[in-house]
Amino acid sequence: MLKEKLEKFFKIDRRWIFLLLAIVLFAPIMKPIGLPNKTISRDAQNAYTFMDNIPAGSFVLFSLDYDPSTRPELHPQAMAMVRHAFKRDLRVGVVTFIAGSTGLISQIFAKVPGEYNKVNGTDYVIFPYQANYAAVMTQMGSDLYGIYDKDQDGRDARTLPVMKGVKNYKDMALVVDITGTSILDQWVAFVGDKFNVPVVGGVTAISQPGYGPYLQTKQLKGLLGGMKGAAEYESLIKEPGKGTSGIDSLNLAHLLVLILIMTSNIILLIIRYL
Amino acid sequence: MELFANLWAWFSGLFVITPAWMTLGAWVAVGLTIFIFSFLYKDNPFFKIAEHLYLGAGMGWWFQVYLYSIFIPKVWDPLMAHQWGVIIPAVLGISLVTQFIPRISWMSRYGFTFMMGYGAGLAVPAGLSTDFIAQIGGTIEPLSRMASMTPFAIFNSLLVAFGVICVLFYFFFSVEHKGAVKKVSSIGIYFLMIYFGAAFGNTVMARFSLLYGRFDELYTYSGSNYFYATQVILISMVLYFVVHALANKGKKGTSEEAA
Amino acid sequence: MKFIKKQIPLMIVMVVGLLTLASYYVPNKHSVDYIELLSKWENIVMAFAFLLGLISLFYSHYNKISRKTDGWGYSLFVYIGFLGMVVPAMMNGGRQMVDGRLTMLGWSFNYIYNALSATMFAVLAFYIVSTAYRSFRIKSKQAFVLFLAAFVLILGKVPLGQIIWDFLLGWTHATVSEVIEWIMSVPAVAGKRGIMIGISIGAIVTSLKIIFGIERQYMGKD
Repeated sequence: MLKEKLEKFFKIDRRWIFLLLAIVLFAPIMKPIGLPNKTISRDAQNAYTFMDNIPAGSFVLFSLDYDPSTRPELHPQAMAMVRHAFKRDLRVGVVTFIAGSTGLISQIFAKVPGEYNKVNGTDYVIFPYQANYAAVMTQMGSDLYGIYDKDQDGRDARTLPVMKGVKNYKDMALVVDITGTSILDQWVAFVGDKFNVPVVGGVTAISQPGYGPYLQTKQLKGLLGGMKGAAEYESLIKEPGKGTSGIDSLNLAHLLVLILIMTSNIILLIIRYL
Repeated sequence: MELFANLWAWFSGLFVITPAWMTLGAWVAVGLTIFIFSFLYKDNPFFKIAEHLYLGAGMGWWFQVYLYSIFIPKVWDPLMAHQWGVIIPAVLGISLVTQFIPRISWMSRYGFTFMMGYGAGLAVPAGLSTDFIAQIGGTIEPLSRMASMTPFAIFNSLLVAFGVICVLFYFFFSVEHKGAVKKVSSIGIYFLMIYFGAAFGNTVMARFSLLYGRFDELYTYSGSNYFYATQVILISMVLYFVVHALANKGKKGTSEEAA
Repeated sequence: MKFIKKQIPLMIVMVVGLLTLASYYVPNKHSVDYIELLSKWENIVMAFAFLLGLISLFYSHYNKISRKTDGWGYSLFVYIGFLGMVVPAMMNGGRQMVDGRLTMLGWSFNYIYNALSATMFAVLAFYIVSTAYRSFRIKSKQAFVLFLAAFVLILGKVPLGQIIWDFLLGWTHATVSEVIEWIMSVPAVAGKRGIMIGISIGAIVTSLKIIFGIERQYMGKD
């Protein structure tokens, strides 16, 4: 009798669970819980420290390779890291190998440079999308103007003040890749290892555990993982943004999953021993 | 020709983005978002429209990016400047498209073999140094400076080395798992399980973050400055389902769940 | 004819493959020039490869429309979506901002493509929850280990979970963040590194097979 009743629990229309999730995730957006992220992971701290110790005026290359499908996780990461670079008066170059990210890059640079009085062409440069990362990464090892002869607005890249003295990886202090794809692996393999350039990554939470080996060997100098990584970096640079508010909203949903997994397994146990 | 250019300029002029366009944008974004979410309740025409739009818009976005960052600046412009070298990759590229014409589809092999050769040639050294040698090095290296490590750090590096060996046993001796080999490789499974468990835990966070992103936008557009786009469209969608259910009442069972 | 159809392509893959491979190890001007030239070419060939996908998508939906198969009307929206991006792009030469103002292309990206693409992936959140409820079964020791790792990660990534951990397990003097750090940098590294080494061996072997023309399935039938 009880057994049948319990078994019914597993046949519950999954749309009820959908609704439950929608509620626990939407409610905190309307009224924040007020439990923002407090801990900082070692890898995020390392990423921050590395960027923080680069001498002002150095050139940092950002490879922003994410599209709207991973935007909530990676956009705040990119915002925070670009902010940090500008704060530190570093020169910023942006490349991308994902067609869908060009729109998101525009969004970042429509907003962030103004906050720090940075000028396109003088303090930062955005290069157009290129299809083949392996080809571009290899090319930039000798002469980046071979592929990026013009910036996104069609200006001659060689004459831009921001590019002064920058020809290949030797002239860059750091490569930052923020991506929801395996392009970070290629940055490590084709650039970090081969040309001895420090690489820092920002990835989705899904792929974060996969980078443990590269972090241990220092093939990666630091890593931001998912929205939590974004929140961590935001608190490091003391500029709370979408990552910080996002983590607050995820509190209840995370708890919901744990409760669901445990409930179903406890029910299973009871059924088995009944 | 001139007439066409003038018409085009006039047409383009209609699309100067004003605040009204931004409000319209909010309604479009909310509509498309809710259309896709509606699939969670039940498959419906609105979802199908959004799904097909997504396919087309994605391709369209990619196409324009390729057009303005490669085809025009890297192929067309050099050709106009009489830099004939670019003909070789262009011909290799065009050869790919012969795939669709069975009689001459063999030509596409020229393009494919070029890409495969290039890719394979890059993959060998990169894989060898980054994922093979560096990883084995990273496993052994800590063991060489044990003298300066804490006991816990020593334990950890030994555990990593032991785990890697077990996992490799699991992969490479998968045919015959007997005796000691079986034991070692079954320990390997536990290391893999911890990795997969960690990956699953992180996947949950990743998926929720994406959903948070959409909900956050829906919340933004629910404000009075956007004329309550979210509420209006959400209620309309619910009404659609109610009316649809009522209209189909009596007909065959329609309450099948979303796939 | 066989020479043109088969031998030359196989020669291309071998020559290009071996030279590219060698260029990684030979630090000399010729090898740098070679890889630069080839990288530029590859970049262009890849762009044409995209057209393959585009043409086959258009073709299949054109077929649906011309044969009036079930739901052919929806196929029209594939073309509408495509034009909805390409026409605005042509108005401003593919730029989303001009003089700090959003263009029509920027508008289409923000409100159409962004909304569609992001929502398509956001839907998966719902399925992972219902899967967690319906099929996360702890039936073996291995499954229990997987569950444990997942549990700690899900709990410890949010502040509320950290508070719960401190409340229940505070006596251990290990915070959940420390435990996560350990899982991620010790056992998970061992698991992933084993996978990495395994895959890299497979990838190297496959690449060599391609270069030497042993693996030629991608060329299709004769």
